[in-house]
Amino acid sequence: MATSASPQQPGGAVVAERRGIPAASFVEDVQIYLNQLGLDVNSTLAFLQERLQQYKVVEMKLLAQQRDLQAKIPDIEKCLDALLTDFEASEGIYSRARVEDIDSVCLWLGANVMLEYSCEEATSLLRKNLENAKASLEVLIADLQFLRDQVTITQVTIARVYNWDVHQRRVRQALASQDS
Amino acid sequence: MQQAGGGSETEVTWEDQQNINKFGRLNNRYHELEDEIRIAKEANENFEDASNELILTDEEVVRFQIGEVFAHVPKDEVEMRIEQMTETTTKHLEKLKDEKDAVVAQMADLKKVLYAKFKDSINLEED
Repeated sequence: MATSASPQQPGGAVVAERRGIPAASFVEDVQIYLNQLGLDVNSTLAFLQERLQQYKVVEMKLLAQQRDLQAKIPDIEKCLDALLTDFEASEGIYSRARVEDIDSVCLWLGANVMLEYSCEEATSLLRKNLENAKASLEVLIADLQFLRDQVTITQVTIARVYNWDVHQRRVRQALASQDS
Repeated sequence: MQQAGGGSETEVTWEDQQNINKFGRLNNRYHELEDEIRIAKEANENFEDASNELILTDEEVVRFQIGEVFAHVPKDEVEMRIEQMTETTTKHLEKLKDEKDAVVAQMADLKKVLYAKFKDSINLEED
């Protein structure tokens, strides 16, 4: 007989949720799953569909965050680049520079705020921002992968519940026509 | 993209589910790689156009874009920079292509395994 449908512990570790995203529990046996839920087939399908929608909503949000980060990172890299190369170019060739004295750099921090830094401070600030952005992006990508797995599991579960139902109906029909 | 057919009896094990998940992830990565490859190719084309323009121009000092500013840079240096950037992008492109090949190979393997077990009950093709 199949085992119950609780979160698995085979091979890889399975988490019950990740940063607020609930994991989709893998269903070993459809019959037992339905009994556990205590719902009929249609209600189960509705429940699973709703879960799927919720996952999609979170996915949209995370994708938007990812796009923002992916735009921000080259921006920071370009700033760093400008900072480093302006030193080479500051031999008088870059004559239209607003910052001619290479000791201080102004960085736009957003929200109508601009601060003046020494070149070392500016470089290290930009580098730190870049590191943070890259780290956030990695976490985000891992979240998205986890999410997509849960979506796939839910889709497969929906298909299996539906198939099981179709199968049950056929069996019942076959029995009914045997008896008559 | 993946669906199971109607009314089949085949049981889905946790291992099957993991294979399906992996296929999904690989497929996503495949599309991401295609986009990245396209962007890298465009960048290389731009570099080539730029360097062609450079050859045609008689100006000694070229306005080279760094971030949002243009720096006045001597033509030779610009040529060198474009070459460097082209080289970096080309290497990056090679890496992307290699990764794409690996992904395609893994997807082909998984398809074999999954179709063997589920036959018509599963669809792993792009619609």
